Amino acid sequence: MRLLADRRAYRFLTTPTVVILLSCVIIWGVAQLAFPGFASFGHIRYMLELSAILGIVAGGQTVVVLTGGIDLSVGAMITFAAILGPSITLLVGDSGIVSVPLLLLITAAIGGVNGLAVSALRIHPMIMTLAMATILTGVMLLASGGTAVAVHSPVVVWLANAHFAGVSISILVWLLVAVLLILLLRRTVLGVWIYAIGTSQRASELSAVNERLVHVAAYSISGFTAGLTGVLLSGVTMQGSIGIGDPYLLMSIAAVVVGGTSILGGQGGYGGTIAGSILLTTLTSLITVINLSAGGRSMLLGLLVLGLLGLYARESRRA
Amino acid sequence: MKTSSLYGAIFWRRNSGAWGIMAAALLMLVLYACLFPDLLHLSGLARLSQTWFPLAAVAMAQAVIMLTGGVDLSTGPVVSVGCVLSASVIDDGALPTIGGILLVLAVGAAIGGLTGLVVSLLRLPPIIVTLATSFIWTGAALLIMPDPGGSVPDGLSNALAGDFPTPIFVIAGLVVLWKLWTLTPQGFASATFGDNPVGAFRSGVKVETVRILAYAISGVLTILAGLFLAAQTGSGDPTIGAPYTLNSITAAVLGGVAFTGGVGTMRGALAGSLLLTAIISVMFLLGISAFYQYVVQGVVILVAMTLPLLRRN
Repeated sequence: MRLLADRRAYRFLTTPTVVILLSCVIIWGVAQLAFPGFASFGHIRYMLELSAILGIVAGGQTVVVLTGGIDLSVGAMITFAAILGPSITLLVGDSGIVSVPLLLLITAAIGGVNGLAVSALRIHPMIMTLAMATILTGVMLLASGGTAVAVHSPVVVWLANAHFAGVSISILVWLLVAVLLILLLRRTVLGVWIYAIGTSQRASELSAVNERLVHVAAYSISGFTAGLTGVLLSGVTMQGSIGIGDPYLLMSIAAVVVGGTSILGGQGGYGGTIAGSILLTTLTSLITVINLSAGGRSMLLGLLVLGLLGLYARESRRA
Repeated sequence: MKTSSLYGAIFWRRNSGAWGIMAAALLMLVLYACLFPDLLHLSGLARLSQTWFPLAAVAMAQAVIMLTGGVDLSTGPVVSVGCVLSASVIDDGALPTIGGILLVLAVGAAIGGLTGLVVSLLRLPPIIVTLATSFIWTGAALLIMPDPGGSVPDGLSNALAGDFPTPIFVIAGLVVLWKLWTLTPQGFASATFGDNPVGAFRSGVKVETVRILAYAISGVLTILAGLFLAAQTGSGDPTIGAPYTLNSITAAVLGGVAFTGGVGTMRGALAGSLLLTAIISVMFLLGISAFYQYVVQGVVILVAMTLPLLRRN
């Protein structure tokens, strides 16, 4: 009986999610010794706010990767939301109560177009989302003329910067997204289908899985979460500018893969991605504190990501 | 007689994805020449070939990787490294220039080979390895040269980006070299094993070695694009390569190179890059806002992807 409990504890402690979260805590502790204040409440809250921005977009990316696809349009989608957000307030009012949901509806619909093309036209996800990213970038440049757009909506600013009982609203939003995504993946038929499609599309279709619904839903979710990240990001920086979402394309994929989700699909989950987002943000903060040049920061981050992937993401090639 | 008809059939099938794109590229060039007869002069041709060259080189580099069943997300950063490195190490004078060029190309081979080694040794999917290395090379370019600067010998700039369409001959030379490479056992394997790596391995192909060689070749081609950009602009810029990651994938995909590996041809990738270049040049010369070029580029990819599917149905 005791043995069983021990084994269960061992298994729990060695899941990627727990290992990563524990390493984060250790990194915080060690960094606190070297840089006093690193593990202070304020700084950890700040890092979690940054993790929330990354973790939300990585949520949609997780769902898409689980279906065996990849969404290369999230970077452009974030920028799109950050720039279009202030523009549609001119039409539907400045408060943001209407404009934010409307915006998220639009980005989810654009994601849905990705999913529809992937399933109905059988265009490779990488190509489809790449083309969508290119088109969105062009539309954005045409709409904004390449200049930054200021953010006024109180709702957007509130979502990104306000605190409730010491906890940032953006972290609470992330929590809500996390609960919904995990419930979707673990407790619904759609969730089961997402894993099924990612494991074997052919077998799933023969088993009457609604492949089109899965793809449209997965890419819509990714569009929605990318839009939400765009809203939060524009609220933090108080403006939407070209290229604001670009770093999040690679970082969202890195968060998914570091979190133990297979890039080939069918294995993993959002829990790992949450841990991956926190770890990546922690490492980025740490590298910033060490005071390296921009080039050194980027190199170190790349080496760390590569090392983490070497540890966690090794897998026998299925293809 | 029988062999030749068999070869003809295979040749036709291997190119089936590329005929359309070649025709489209040709059509675009004719339109270009009609709108701007300047193209038919040596200097006009030189200008088009200079716009084409970097994209052609990275499209070939991307095609080499895609044929092995991978994809390279670090193309742009490596182009940047090539650009700043060229502006730092290539000096005036015949010997230092040639030595510098060889050094830059060797660095390209090393970068590519290293990526291939990591993919092979760690057994990680190429997409996530190159995702991580894209951070590394972005940083390396910034470390070599934090701000745009440096210089390239005028002689090199004039030779590559002067009034004579040298790039066309360089591309022709690269195509011949690639053709010769695919005639060797390793070369043939590198262009085909992506279709079925396990089958290739069981047939005695040293898949890991061939993959590393393919990545090294791809690295040389990528860094060559950076070298050319340095010669063209006369200086180094650590962020100049950024657009080339997505553009190289676009060009290769337009040219009928498949993500699944083993399917596609180098001429297809070149035709894809030429089509993109011609479209962008014509739009630029017509005075259409550069912003539209993104929209057009995206739509062109989708149309190119959708048409063959409709035909198949």
